[in-house]
Amino acid sequence: MALEIKDMPINPMERDQYEPERFNALGKRGIRRIDGYKKASGKAIYTRDITLPGMLYAKWLRSPYPNAKIITMDTSRAEALSGVRGVLRYDDPEVMGRRVIGTYGSTEDMLAGYCYFEGQQMGAVVAADTEEIANEALKLIKVEWEIRPFVLDGEEALKPGAPLARPEWFQDNLSADPPSPAPNVLNRGDVEKGFKEADRIIEFKARRRYHGGADAELLCGISRWEDDCLELWLHHQHPYEHKWTMHQYFGVPMNKVTAHAPYNGGMYGGWNWIPYSQIAQGVSAILARRTGRPVKWVFDRREDFVFGSMDAQVSYIKVGIKNDGLIIAIDMKSVFENTGNFAEEHFLENTRVPNIRALNLTGRVNKPPAIAIRCEQLPMCFAFTHVFNHVAAALNMDPTEVALKNDGAEGHGLEHLNQFKQDHGFPVRDSLKECIEKGKKAIGWDEKWHAPGAKKLPNGKLHGLGFIWDNEWDDNRGAGVAGVFIQQDGSINIVAFRADVGVNAETTYCQVVADELGARIEDVHFRHQEDVYLPAMTPDGSSNLTTNGYVMRKAARKAKQQLLEVATSIVNTIERDIPPAFPGIKPEDLDVGESQVFVKADPSSRKSIAEVVKDMHGSMGWGLDYAAIQGTTHAPVFAWAYHRQGRYGTEPGRHRLCRQIHFCEIEVDPETGEIDVKRVVNVNDVGKALSPEAVEGQQYGGTYMGVGRNVMEEYIWDPPTGVLLNGSLLDYKWATMLDLGPVDTIIVETGMGYGPYGTCGIGEDVATITTHLLQGAVYNATGKWVDDGPITPDKVLRALGKA
Amino acid sequence: MEERVYTCPYCAMAHNSTEALKSHVIAEHKTEPLPSPEGLIRLAINGQGYELTVEPHWTLYQVIHDKLGLTGSKMFCDRGACGSCTVIMDGRPILSCMTLAIECHGKSIETIEGIAEKKHPLIDAYVKHHCMQCGYCTPGFVVTAKALLDRNPKPTEEEIRQALAGNLCRCGTYPQHVTAVQEAAKKLPNS
Repeated sequence: MALEIKDMPINPMERDQYEPERFNALGKRGIRRIDGYKKASGKAIYTRDITLPGMLYAKWLRSPYPNAKIITMDTSRAEALSGVRGVLRYDDPEVMGRRVIGTYGSTEDMLAGYCYFEGQQMGAVVAADTEEIANEALKLIKVEWEIRPFVLDGEEALKPGAPLARPEWFQDNLSADPPSPAPNVLNRGDVEKGFKEADRIIEFKARRRYHGGADAELLCGISRWEDDCLELWLHHQHPYEHKWTMHQYFGVPMNKVTAHAPYNGGMYGGWNWIPYSQIAQGVSAILARRTGRPVKWVFDRREDFVFGSMDAQVSYIKVGIKNDGLIIAIDMKSVFENTGNFAEEHFLENTRVPNIRALNLTGRVNKPPAIAIRCEQLPMCFAFTHVFNHVAAALNMDPTEVALKNDGAEGHGLEHLNQFKQDHGFPVRDSLKECIEKGKKAIGWDEKWHAPGAKKLPNGKLHGLGFIWDNEWDDNRGAGVAGVFIQQDGSINIVAFRADVGVNAETTYCQVVADELGARIEDVHFRHQEDVYLPAMTPDGSSNLTTNGYVMRKAARKAKQQLLEVATSIVNTIERDIPPAFPGIKPEDLDVGESQVFVKADPSSRKSIAEVVKDMHGSMGWGLDYAAIQGTTHAPVFAWAYHRQGRYGTEPGRHRLCRQIHFCEIEVDPETGEIDVKRVVNVNDVGKALSPEAVEGQQYGGTYMGVGRNVMEEYIWDPPTGVLLNGSLLDYKWATMLDLGPVDTIIVETGMGYGPYGTCGIGEDVATITTHLLQGAVYNATGKWVDDGPITPDKVLRALGKA
Repeated sequence: MEERVYTCPYCAMAHNSTEALKSHVIAEHKTEPLPSPEGLIRLAINGQGYELTVEPHWTLYQVIHDKLGLTGSKMFCDRGACGSCTVIMDGRPILSCMTLAIECHGKSIETIEGIAEKKHPLIDAYVKHHCMQCGYCTPGFVVTAKALLDRNPKPTEEEIRQALAGNLCRCGTYPQHVTAVQEAAKKLPNS
């Protein structure tokens, strides 16, 4: 085992257990979410809501062409417009030719004089008194363009002679920019041998079309300089990271950069990973410094369509199977648009498939940058779902049987996984089997399952059932720092800075601290929006609880130890010495519960935490009435902790043990091609649900997002012009309340997750897996494959031979 | 002191004070006694009076959110597709981003802030049932649900779904809203 794992105080290879008898808050229902009232009452403040005195609004020029370059630009009329306070041009010495760091280790032009997709923010930025004036000024900018040929399709982009998608940067269209894989063939086992041993070989092509974030709160941010200090308000999931990037851009020391992270209207990764997401903030900082005013940069809805998901792909897949359902060989080639990933990964990690060959190519196209949007494992789920659906259909087998047959880890079967569980103290439970049994019962699988295209309903529609499965994941390595501070009145703060991503994580951190310290949940509070120099954690997206849960636990345990030492020590204040709260007792003889410190041997001997700490920091020994008087005489109870979570949530060799499955029941209208989703059943092995309502929220929310992507979400470009045609929320559709029937949420708790207390995240899994939920169900309903997402009515009709 | 005469410009009737003349013009001629400054509107928002001058192209959302600081109404789709900017005007839920402020003169408006201040049972039910993740669209849902309960205090599940169908939630919290609205309905004072 790697040294760093051995040295970690928490060994992710071992089971981390939930101890029900020890907890009052963790794992319990009815814990009030700390953001609940603020969000329901409209009191929660988002960056979009903030106005500062004297604030200007910055707007970008947007490219009207998918691939073009500025020859000349005249901004004089814009500069002369009343109310315009600053215009930054691409050829300004401060930005000209300046390539700066973005996220994912990438670089980007600070302000480009060219574009590589239609609608790109580039060329010039105007800061004006109002958004209207800024927009007016942009119209006055005159540009002479060099218009270049463009390419919109990943496969076309890789053909010889294709137009160069980003000629300023690359002299070919084949990309291996992180996180896209290098164009190397991966080999496990011997694929050709596998095909020779196969009873059946199937081949198919499948496609997923470009879709995107379409996040809730329109993108924006504010920069303000005060002397040489920079202050930022960030609608971003990596607030702390901005301190580093601004230091890189401006040489401003990080200790003079203060960031604020107000609430975030849902982002799901996406924009936060786009290289120029931080550059937008940098440009506003330049304008803020030049104008001496705070500058808020803002996008409108059309301008917000500037990034998409990294699973726009075409895959050519060949599978060798045995008649009993075992998959013995997979050969797969995928071509992505702008950003790709390892489409074969879930087969490698979580099945017993012995022979795999895979090639992932990424073609640069003239579409917006593509990145992880809940989440980067979409390509893996895409390949996984399509293979399993096709295999089950080819063998005329129940797809749940095919799943059970192939479950495993890294080319080994269940017996290998079970041995691993036994060796590392996990319960030897078959997560997939347990999930399938529960889910089958809920959807009525055994009664309703039928041959493809075999069930026409009295209403004339075709009935279909679908099943998909996958493993759990938490896709983001991360590290967090946080402190636990006990105030003089016994109330407890978590001290850390992080962006809210809406998953109720902050409440759960309070639950961890409360239960580990022995406090009541209502005595713990976490106001995470302000920069207190402890990043917990950045990036703030994936791995929330599975990283920060460990951080909070460590800090709380240390704070508890300090508290017990205070309770048994003399507190020396300026005026007098205060005897110990528990004289003659050792710290180890005490415990804390319900916010009270008590003697283990005699629990009736107890004092509140407030009583124990009241004479500490901030007191001269005259009691709480004089608390405001200076005279810190005793260090406060404050403990901090750090934790690093491994790559993809686990360390090498730590198999994933929890399984996630989804069933659906649909009706397909053979006349219109429309799909009615009548019911969805989610069965998620979350290891341990620490906040059950939040888990259910992820199950519901992920399902709506996933199914919406499956049947409607798609960016549509005009082929002759390369212009995006549906850049509004009227034309870019996603699921509304009426688009799905009932969604059942079943939580399975095997305790085998890699996070604290045996938990694991599912916030990304559900949305990512269910993005392909209906594919098998449409086949079951119609007997025809629609291997082209989104599965829109026109494609269904075409499959039925009606269009 | 010399006694002044205040003559009505419409009918020449004489009055002995400006107040008397104003009352006369309002009562007899059914009009404002003095011309309003261009763009002046008066609104009652959450029961409080507001008087301000607006540009003709300003939306009600801009006035409520940007000018008056009632930031609970949210800009999401920015053009009538998502329901996040919903307010109740004269009893009806409307999209404040699609309504010109200048047309709202004399209207009575209720925003999420007013609903929360009155401790409407929806707020507690929304918190209890986790009807929010990022929370950006949540106020719009609460306002729409409040308008539903105002006109139909005992909605069926289907009526709730229909009423909230115009509100978009990117986090996909939809099923939880139905539960919360049903629970809030049971807690309404007259139920």
